[in-house]
Amino acid sequence: MFENKHNWKGYLYLAPALILILIFIIYPLFNTFLTSFKENYQFMTGEYDGFSIQHYMDVFKSSKFKVAFKNTMILTIISVPVSIVIALLISVGLNSIKRLQGFLQTIFFLPYVTNVIAIGLVFQFMFNHNYGIINTVIGWFGIGPVHWMDAYASYGEAMAVIIIYSIWSSLPFKIMVFLSGLQTIDKQYYQAAQIDATPKWRVFLRITVPLLSPMIMYITITSFMGAFKTYEHVLSLFGDGGTAGDPGNLKTMVWYIYEALDSSKKGSVAVASASAVVLFIVIMIFTAIQMYINKKRVHY
Amino acid sequence: MEVRLEGLTKKFTDVVAVDNVSVVFPSGKLTGLLGPSGCGKSTTLFLLAGLYNPTEGKIFFGDEEVTEIPPEKRGIGLVFQNYALYPHMSVEKNIMFPLENMKMPKAEAKQIAYEMAKLVQIEELLDRKPKQLSGGQQQRVAIARALAKKPRVLLLDEPLSNLDARLRLQTREEIKRIQRETGITTIFVTHDQEEAMSISDQIIVMEKGIINQVDLPQKLYNDPINLFVAKFLGNPPINVVEAEIVNKVLVVNNKKTIKVDLPNQKVKLGFRPEDVRIDPNGPLEANIYMVEMVGRDTSILCTINNEKIRGIIDSEIEVNVGDNIKFDLRKQRFYLFEYNTGARLR
Repeated sequence: MFENKHNWKGYLYLAPALILILIFIIYPLFNTFLTSFKENYQFMTGEYDGFSIQHYMDVFKSSKFKVAFKNTMILTIISVPVSIVIALLISVGLNSIKRLQGFLQTIFFLPYVTNVIAIGLVFQFMFNHNYGIINTVIGWFGIGPVHWMDAYASYGEAMAVIIIYSIWSSLPFKIMVFLSGLQTIDKQYYQAAQIDATPKWRVFLRITVPLLSPMIMYITITSFMGAFKTYEHVLSLFGDGGTAGDPGNLKTMVWYIYEALDSSKKGSVAVASASAVVLFIVIMIFTAIQMYINKKRVHY
Repeated sequence: MEVRLEGLTKKFTDVVAVDNVSVVFPSGKLTGLLGPSGCGKSTTLFLLAGLYNPTEGKIFFGDEEVTEIPPEKRGIGLVFQNYALYPHMSVEKNIMFPLENMKMPKAEAKQIAYEMAKLVQIEELLDRKPKQLSGGQQQRVAIARALAKKPRVLLLDEPLSNLDARLRLQTREEIKRIQRETGITTIFVTHDQEEAMSISDQIIVMEKGIINQVDLPQKLYNDPINLFVAKFLGNPPINVVEAEIVNKVLVVNNKKTIKVDLPNQKVKLGFRPEDVRIDPNGPLEANIYMVEMVGRDTSILCTINNEKIRGIIDSEIEVNVGDNIKFDLRKQRFYLFEYNTGARLR
């Protein structure tokens, strides 16, 4: 039929979603950006004394922010690539078996539907210094016992637990996406590769990974975004956000933003806004870099 | 390399796809595996490739039994129905891929890729990605990739089914040329009788997992072993009319027609459209319900006792819809098949 460029009915149907998005996402986004420049901003009255970049200076000078930034970076840069590689290997494994596939898929998917706080509790048991299963198992190989999460835990040990938790809890979604991607790859590619006597690792690197690259790119970008926003993982493992020896040393950037918001100090919302904008810019830079790299490597 | 199947059987959970097949694919020849979809021809091809393991039976390449040998060690090249070209690799990389698996030095692999591309006449497309190629070009790349590692046997699965009509004609000649030039034993699967007839040195007709007939293309057409083969070959298809033999005379539509030296029984009479000759003294009678003028020939569609038949006659003969015509069969070319089994009687 004839194309109607002013189909107002279409916009009407979109309106409920658009209005909600405008109120709860677009407006806060711009407002945060604006607020971050307001001096002596009073949240309750909305009063402020003009614009400056003072809050950004404060954020960059804050030692707490530096710690949060470092923690977030360490966590992200280790957990995202490692979890992607593990998820990829598990998906390829799951895809290649027939028996128990459904059962194992369910098992790998469980963390996705389990409560974060509950998992935190279970991890506290597993990583317990005295009777945790982790120390028991590594003890068989003559390692440990490691403190992990107790009062004597070091920064490195605590960070290791957080990273392991992040990797494990992010696997299900990645596996689900990779598995559905793998199932769309034509089996004939693998038969062709088999007839051409292609070694298994070469099939994986030269056929599976390239054909899965759109999914890998999607997962990489969303995982980096997610990891930069980590907060609840640390909270559920270390409620006070730090090891006993050095309180607050495990807090992440979102934690920092949250705390800035929470303090009753005058202008604190503006400081939180500034730090949120900083996080936004960091994520944006990372995403841009990935888009640039992936442009050359992703095959649609 | 002669390829031989001995009592080859492949059962899937509840279907026998290939049923006790014994046949020889002659060395250096192009053999067509022909049959309707689901007849087991592709299964046979995948058994030859080693992608399926036979339930029973043996496969020989020359004197060597390869039944238990995995596909990568059989020395075969396989061209898949949808070509299975790796979409993320250039044409050159695709052709080089099997060679790199053999750990061939890159320069040598590149050289061979170029030679193969030249053989299939796509040497100017080496830098393209498969998506940038037409169906016919992709087909050539797939053949080049299959031939690059110098296989003993080349297998093609429905090589022309994804091409449009014009390309199909061109490509089948191309396959024939490549096969002649390389002299490689080639087996290809098709459901298109015309395709099989036009390029095969030998055709194997399969139905429901069983081989019906193995013969030269023209022999299959002129001398089909049963009703299935007769019906499957030829376009337009053969006419089949119910008939009865009474006292050594063939009775069609209650009229005595041709003398045949066979005992009394119900039969099916088969004759090719091009053998219909309009003749006022002819033994057979039909009623025209449609006339199609197609260039130099006229195609008449008639009924004999409600059974539809087609005749191709000279366009100079004037015929009209509704005419009752009498006709004869050129050189007495007709076939009689047993009524129930379809086995050839004459």
